[in-house]
Amino acid sequence: MTQKNSKFHSILIWIITLVPVFITGLLIVFFFSYTEKIGREEDEKIYDRYYAMIAEDSDSDFWQSVYRAAKEAGEAQNAYVEMIGETLSQSYSTLELMEIAVNSGVDGIIIAADESKEMTDLIEKAYQKNIPVITLFSDIPNSQRLSYVGVSNYNLGREYGNLILQMANSKSFSGSSIKVSILVDANVADLGQNVLYLAIKETVEGENQKKAFNHKPIEITPFSVDSTNSFSVEESVRNMFISKDKNLPDIVVGLNEIDTTSIYQTVVDNNAVGSVNILGYYNSESVVQGIERNVIYATVSIDTNQMGQFCIDALSEYYEFGYTSQYFTTDIYVINQNNIKKYMEGNADEN
Amino acid sequence: MKTRLKNLSLRFKMTGISLLVNLIVFAINLALLFGINRMSGQIESVYQANLQLNELSASLKSVQDNMTEYLNAKTSDALENYYLSAQEYSDLVDMLPSDIKASSMSRMGHSIKAMSESYLDEVEQTIDGKRGRNVEKYRNHYEEATKFYGYLNTEINSVNNEQFKENRMTYREMLNAFRFFETFGNIVMIVVIIINAFLIMSLTTELIRPLTSLTGMANEVSAGNFNISPLEVKDEDEIGVVTKAFNEMVVSIQDYIEKIRENAEAEKAHKEKELLMESHLKDAQLKYLQAQINPHFLFNTLNAGAQLAMLESADRTYEYIQVMAEFFRYNVKKGFNTVTIGEEIELVDNYIYILNVRFSGDIHYEKEIDSTLLDVEMPSMILQPIVENCVNHGIREMMGEGRITLKVYALDNTACISIEDNGIGMDRDTIDHLMSGTPMTNEKKDSNGIGMDNVLARLKLFEGTDDVIGIESEGPGKGSKFTIYLDKERSNTV
Repeated sequence: MTQKNSKFHSILIWIITLVPVFITGLLIVFFFSYTEKIGREEDEKIYDRYYAMIAEDSDSDFWQSVYRAAKEAGEAQNAYVEMIGETLSQSYSTLELMEIAVNSGVDGIIIAADESKEMTDLIEKAYQKNIPVITLFSDIPNSQRLSYVGVSNYNLGREYGNLILQMANSKSFSGSSIKVSILVDANVADLGQNVLYLAIKETVEGENQKKAFNHKPIEITPFSVDSTNSFSVEESVRNMFISKDKNLPDIVVGLNEIDTTSIYQTVVDNNAVGSVNILGYYNSESVVQGIERNVIYATVSIDTNQMGQFCIDALSEYYEFGYTSQYFTTDIYVINQNNIKKYMEGNADEN
Repeated sequence: MKTRLKNLSLRFKMTGISLLVNLIVFAINLALLFGINRMSGQIESVYQANLQLNELSASLKSVQDNMTEYLNAKTSDALENYYLSAQEYSDLVDMLPSDIKASSMSRMGHSIKAMSESYLDEVEQTIDGKRGRNVEKYRNHYEEATKFYGYLNTEINSVNNEQFKENRMTYREMLNAFRFFETFGNIVMIVVIIINAFLIMSLTTELIRPLTSLTGMANEVSAGNFNISPLEVKDEDEIGVVTKAFNEMVVSIQDYIEKIRENAEAEKAHKEKELLMESHLKDAQLKYLQAQINPHFLFNTLNAGAQLAMLESADRTYEYIQVMAEFFRYNVKKGFNTVTIGEEIELVDNYIYILNVRFSGDIHYEKEIDSTLLDVEMPSMILQPIVENCVNHGIREMMGEGRITLKVYALDNTACISIEDNGIGMDRDTIDHLMSGTPMTNEKKDSNGIGMDNVLARLKLFEGTDDVIGIESEGPGKGSKFTIYLDKERSNTV
């Protein structure tokens, strides 16, 4: 009995001794494996391809949204997509960024830039280096770009035209005619913008020609906006309100995100809500807010997810088959009072 | 192994325990220190990449400077320097990580590598142009190279910044981990101390357990309980030795006790035997003496003498012999048996008569006796020795007529016998000496051999109390008085 007891006792002593020591050792090992991880990159994943993305206002919601989509799509294809210039300590123009990208040994470039001689040359250089270039949103057709991903400006124009007609039919306007101002970039000799403008005009006038309308005649005029530097857009839009004080347009159409935000802000600041109707572009936070508050009538939005996805698809297809489609057209949709709630719910779900 | 461990001495066991405890602490300390070392190493390595990039930047600058210098001066030194720095730069670039990863360092390393190739190519072309004196060519290429140089610088700076940002996070995390580790280490140490205390306690308890049971056993033994089973000896250490010794001690104490008891019994038996032998011897001696005296012969002789005196009409002689015969018969017949006061008084009467004949009526003898008390029992041969004492020490040494008064009277429940003389008396010392019951050294040989001490002792034994006799004397020359107190109820008639 006592022998058994003492045996039990000695076993207990060893358990008491060894178990804490063992546990301590285990804890220390766990701790080390934890600290080991701190120093290292969390993601050890090595990507097969490295795609560069370049956009003028890369910080804007629109481009960030496209970038996120592209990045996500790239992740699935084991390709790393980077918005070039984001991490650089100096800010470069799109041309410079393009040059950096071409010389950085990337496997593909997605660029949203205006058409210019230099850009065409750089695309040529990339082509020589076997780097496929995708033009995004605004095409550079006379270059060696692989393909174009963007909206059909014609369709976009038609959408705007329809929205203008819809407004003309549903709302009452004080003047003898409905004056529509379309903000166009003065510095760009871009075909896309022209196509868009024409499409709006065509849609509205086509309706006029049918003679089946019951609204006042619609006058469409372009309004040049200076976009040479970061703040000129805002100034140009404000000028419209100052110079044409007595003759404000009934409807103002913004064809890009920054224009839309500027118009929205200016209309609010000048107490012109109600008398000036806004057709916006894209669904940035402030634009959505504008719709919610009934300052902006509607906005035409582009499926940015689809856009990003198409870029990566084009590049992947190129690498897989050696060729890919020249054009990818992204869907567009209208956000207005009717579907804003639904849109926001969907957005909330996404987040 | 286990038994060998168990047989180690207590000193080694104690040392072993402390060694074990210290080893645990040491091991954990070692682990903690190892962790701290490792972490500080990691913290140091965090900024390794920044150092690398700075070096790269300096090297790039040197390439550009050397190229520019060559373009300016076209010295062979500059050209050589250019080649050296280009090689160095190229080597440094090769060391950059170039995998396409999410982390900026390695991804931008990829970019820098590609860009550096373009740059070095342009520089090469520039140098070539310069050497071939193709001004147009080298100016174009120089411009390109400078542009790339700018890009490269920006990229290196950017990646350096990015790296620093990332590292700052890492550094903070590391620092937090370090702080946590500090707390963790403290907690571990505290836990270890508690465990160690427990360990020491349980180990020493285990070690001392035999000692505890030994103490319990020792207490039992000291309480006198030797009927205990011997303790089990588990380990051959000091305690084991003590336990063994204790077991042996208990056994040997038991043996000794047994032996002592046997010895005592033997001695007792021996003494009894001796006593028996002594009493037998005395008995034999007595029988021998009695046989020698042969009372029948003595009495017959004395009777013959009495008859002869009667025939010759010598009445006084006849009476004297008759009394003498009575006196001796009493001695022989009664010996040390219980008698009555009357019988004792008769003996005193006879004795006085004989003395008066011997010393021609010197002693005047008076009696005042309460006859109801004559049947009270008392030991024999008490009064005669007292009277003899009075005669020998009191009367014989005085001048004039001696007087002895014998009184028997009742005092409450006590029968008192007083013997009074008018002799020389006694001083206090003599009285005390007599009362203490010690034998007199100067006893006269002509007595019948019974001393006062014997009388006193027998009286005390008979009455069962010390208060049996009183001796009074009013001083030298004023006589003395012996009083005996007897229990009145103890009489023959009852």
